[in-house]
Amino acid sequence: MNHDIDVKKVRTNCFRQSKVAGEFMLQMRVPGAVIDAKHLKAVAEICERWGNGSFHMGTRQTLDIPGVKYENIPEVNRYIKQYIEEVDVKLCGCDMEATEYGYPTIGARNVMACIGNAHCIKGNANTYEMAKKIEKLVFPSHYHIKVSVAGCPNDCAKANFNDFGVIGVNKQVYDYDRCIGCGSCVDACQSHATGVLTLNENGKIDKDPCCCVGCGECSLICPTGGWTRDPKKLYRVTLGGRTGKQTPRSGKLFLNWVTEDVVLGMFANWQKFSAWALDYKPEYLHGGHLIDRVGYKEFAKHIFEGVEFNPEAKVADDIYWAENEQRSNIHVMPLSQHKHAGPSEESSK
Amino acid sequence: MKNIIQPVACEILDVKQESKQEYTFRVKTDIRPNHGQFLQLSIPKVGEAPISVSDFGDGWMDFTIRSVGKVTNEIFSKRPGDELFLRGAYGNGWPLEQFQGKHMVIITGGTGLAPVRSMLHKFEKEPDYVKSVHLICGFKNQEGILFRSELEEWKHCFSTIYALDNEKIDGWHKGFVTEFVKEIPFDSFGGDYEVVIVGPPPMMKFTGIECGKCAVPDKKIWLSFERKMSCAVGKCGHCRIDEVYVCLDGPTFNYTQAKYLVD
Amino acid sequence: MGYKLSFGEADRIFDSLQKEYEIWAPKRFVGKGRYSDTDMIRYDKIHRADEIEFNEKSDFPAKEVLTPITETLFYFTEDEYRESKATKKKLLIFMRPCDVHAKYHQEKIYLENGDFADSYYQRMSEKVKIVLMECGEGWDTCFCVSMGTNRTDDYAAAVRAEDEAMFLEIKDEELAPYFQKCASARFTPSFVEENPLQVTVPEIPNKEVLTELKRHPMWDEFDKRCVSCGACTLACSTCTCFTTSDIVYQENSNAGERKRTSASCQIEGFTDMAGGIVFRNTAGERMRYKVLHKFHDYKARFRDFHMCVGCGRCISRCPELISIAATVDKMAAAVDEITASQKAEGGK
Repeated sequence: MNHDIDVKKVRTNCFRQSKVAGEFMLQMRVPGAVIDAKHLKAVAEICERWGNGSFHMGTRQTLDIPGVKYENIPEVNRYIKQYIEEVDVKLCGCDMEATEYGYPTIGARNVMACIGNAHCIKGNANTYEMAKKIEKLVFPSHYHIKVSVAGCPNDCAKANFNDFGVIGVNKQVYDYDRCIGCGSCVDACQSHATGVLTLNENGKIDKDPCCCVGCGECSLICPTGGWTRDPKKLYRVTLGGRTGKQTPRSGKLFLNWVTEDVVLGMFANWQKFSAWALDYKPEYLHGGHLIDRVGYKEFAKHIFEGVEFNPEAKVADDIYWAENEQRSNIHVMPLSQHKHAGPSEESSK
Repeated sequence: MKNIIQPVACEILDVKQESKQEYTFRVKTDIRPNHGQFLQLSIPKVGEAPISVSDFGDGWMDFTIRSVGKVTNEIFSKRPGDELFLRGAYGNGWPLEQFQGKHMVIITGGTGLAPVRSMLHKFEKEPDYVKSVHLICGFKNQEGILFRSELEEWKHCFSTIYALDNEKIDGWHKGFVTEFVKEIPFDSFGGDYEVVIVGPPPMMKFTGIECGKCAVPDKKIWLSFERKMSCAVGKCGHCRIDEVYVCLDGPTFNYTQAKYLVD
Repeated sequence: MGYKLSFGEADRIFDSLQKEYEIWAPKRFVGKGRYSDTDMIRYDKIHRADEIEFNEKSDFPAKEVLTPITETLFYFTEDEYRESKATKKKLLIFMRPCDVHAKYHQEKIYLENGDFADSYYQRMSEKVKIVLMECGEGWDTCFCVSMGTNRTDDYAAAVRAEDEAMFLEIKDEELAPYFQKCASARFTPSFVEENPLQVTVPEIPNKEVLTELKRHPMWDEFDKRCVSCGACTLACSTCTCFTTSDIVYQENSNAGERKRTSASCQIEGFTDMAGGIVFRNTAGERMRYKVLHKFHDYKARFRDFHMCVGCGRCISRCPELISIAATVDKMAAAVDEITASQKAEGGK
C-alpha cells in the first residue's frame, strides 16, 4: 500500500511505528503504574475496536495497543481524551489540557514505579504518589527523561537503570532498651542488605552507619520494635542509569537521605536544564546523554538551582560512571564529532 | 525485702586442675547444700552460670568446672584469694533417705561425676549408710578423666567399672558406659537398690534403656538434668520442660517422671 | 462513684496525680509500626489524657510497665553487687481486662513459682493501681471470652473515652479526692460478651495422648512457616521469660550492670548451653513447646487457668500470619485423632 506518513510526528503523539507499514502502537502513560481498574475497560475497547485485539504491557509500564491503523489515529486520539484528562490532568495535575489530538508529546517518558508502601511490606515510600508529583514536573515536555520510583533499595522498579532513580529510604532508629539482643536484625541485614549490624559483647547492636542503605529490614524483623523507621520520608536518587546499544550502565549514587522537597525541587529544574543544554532546541536526545555531554559538575549547578537541602542530605561531589560499553572506546572520536553543550556562540552574542 | 538473686562474695581457697579442661575451685562459704544441689556462680562483667556442687564440708564447697562458655572461661583466670560470687543452693538434691540402707548403682558420664562426688564421699566415709556401691564411670578419653586419685580410692571401697569411650589404657575398659550396665548384679540385690545416672542427655537416655533391659523398674532410677538457666529460681523460663522447672523441681528427677519429659 | 470529664479536666487531674503517680498508658507512636506508614501502639509514661490510645488495642502488652524489656538488676564493681532502685512514685496503669488477667500470670511466676518472690517484680507490683479501659466490642484478633478473661472487677478506676469526654468510675479511696470537683455521671464499664474469634482449648485426656501430641506431624508445618523471630512471645501478655547478662561500661571496664532482658523460647539459642548442647533445634519444636506451655503445661503445673488471656497480640504481631487460634484448633483436631486411634487400638 502506498503510504506517506510523518512517523516522527506520529511518534510525538505516542504512536510507535510498526514493521507493518501504516500500523502503529499506542503507548498510554500510567504515571506511577497505578490507575483505577475501570480504565482497563477503555483500554480493552481500544484494542478490540482499533487495534489488532492484543494488548502489550509496556516495558516502561505504559498500556500498549498494537496494530492501530494510521487512518484510525484521529478517532483513537478522540477516544483517549477522557483517559488523559483523568490520569494526567486530574490525577497528576499536569499543566496541560486534554484535547482531541491525543498525547501532546512523548518527550519525558512514563514515570515508572513499583507498588511501593501502599501495598508492599518492604516499601518505605508511597511510590505512585511520588511518581505523580514527578510527572507533573516533567510532563508534558519534549525533553526526554526517564524516571523510575522504587519503594525501597531492593529496587524492583529498576530505578538504577533510569536517568533518575528515586528510591524510598528511612533512617532506622535504635531503641537500646527495647533491644533483646536476639540478633535477627544482624542476620536480616547480612542476608538482605549490606551487613552493617553486629551484636556486641553487651548483647546489643552496633551499627556502621556509613553503609546503611536505609531499607528497613531491621525494623521489619525486630520482634520488639527496637528498630523502627524514622517517620521522616527520605530518598536516595541514582543518576545516569540506562539501557541501550552503546553504553548501557547502572546509575550511580547521586543523592542520599534527601527529602521529597529536594527531589521535586530538582525535577522542577529538569526542563530548564535540558533547554539550556540543548540550546533551547528540544531534540531527540536521551536525558542521560545530555548529562554526559554537560558533565556532572555543570549539571549539578543547574539541577540544584534554588534547591534547599535538608540537614541529613548527602550529595555527590562527582560521579564516576562505569559503562558497559558494547564496543570499547566508542567515546573516543575526532574533536569535530564532539557534541556541544550550552548556548551556541551565536545565541550567546 | 530479701533479694533472692543477690550474689554473695566468697573467697577462693584452692584451685586444682582435674583434667585438661576441668578445674575444681574450693570456695569459702557457710552455705550447706544437699548432695546433688547446684548454685548460681557469678563473676561481675561476665554473668552467671549454674554449677553443681562437687563436694562440700565445714565452711567450704567445691565446684568442678569445665572451661566452656563465657562465665566458666573467666573463672579460669581466678586464683586463691580472689573472689567468686554465689547464690543458692538451689534445686532438689539426691533423696539420700531413700538411698539409705540399699545397694547403690551409680553410673556417670564425663562431668556427670561431679554432682554425685560428694555423695560418693559420704558413702566412702560412712560405709554402713548403704549396703554396697556399684560405680560405673565413663569418660570420652584419657584427657577427660576427672578426680583420678578418688577414682583410685573408690576401687578399694566400691565395686567399680571405669571406661573410656574411644581409648584403651591400663586398668580401664574401652566402650560406652551403657555396655557395662549388664555387669551390675541386679539380681543379687533382692530388689533392694537404687540407680543414679548422670551425664549428657543421650548417655542418660540410653543408660536408662539399658537398665530397663536389666528389669530395673523406672521408679528405682534417678537422673540429674542440666539445662540452660538464667535465674535458678523459677522465673526466667529457660530450664522449663513441660510443667517442670529443672531449677525448682530438679535437677534430680525420678525416671518415672523424667522419661515423659520432652524438651 | 461515676464522673464525666472533659479531656481538659482530665489533664488538670493528671497534673495533680503526677505528683504522686507515674501514669502509664498505651500510646500511639506514629510511623513506628513494623511496616512503613503504620503506627506502633505501646505503653509509655504519659502526661496528658489525649496521649492515651483508646480506640485501638496496643501492639505490645501492659506487662512492659512492670517488667521492662531491659531492666537493670544490679550495678556492680569488681567486688560488689548493688541492687538497682525502682521509681519512688506509685503507678497508675491503664489496662484492658486481658492485661489485668495477664497480671495474675505474671504474679504466679514472679511471686509464687518455687516459693521465691522476685523482689524486682514485687517492688513494682505493690505500687500499681489499675485504670480499666473499656473495650467496647473488642478487635478482630481478640478471643478473651473463650479464655474467660473478658471481665474483671479488679480495678481502682475504670474509663470509657468518647470523642469529647471520658467517663470514669472511681473505686479506690485514694483516687477519689482527685475527682471531687468533677460532674458526677452514672458509669460502670461494660465488657465484651462475644468475640468473632472463638477458641476451644482441647482437654488432653492422659499422658499417652500428650506424648503422641508432642510427636504429631502438625508441628512440622511451622518448620517452614515460622521464622523464629519471637514477636509472638514479646507481644504476649503472659510470657515472662528473660535472660540475665552483664554489661560493662565502656568508660570503666571494671564496673557495669547486671540486667534482665526479655527472652523468647521461639528464638534460636534459648536452650543453648555452654559446650554446645541445644534442646529445641527446629521452629516446629519451639512452636510445640510454646503452644503446649500456653494450653497445657502451665495449667498442669498451677492447676488453675491456661496461660493465655486471648488478647490476640501474638496474632497481630506475627509477620508470617500464624494464628494461635488456628493452631489451637489444629491441636484439638490432633488430640481427637490420637484419642480415636488409641480407642481403636484398645478395642483390638
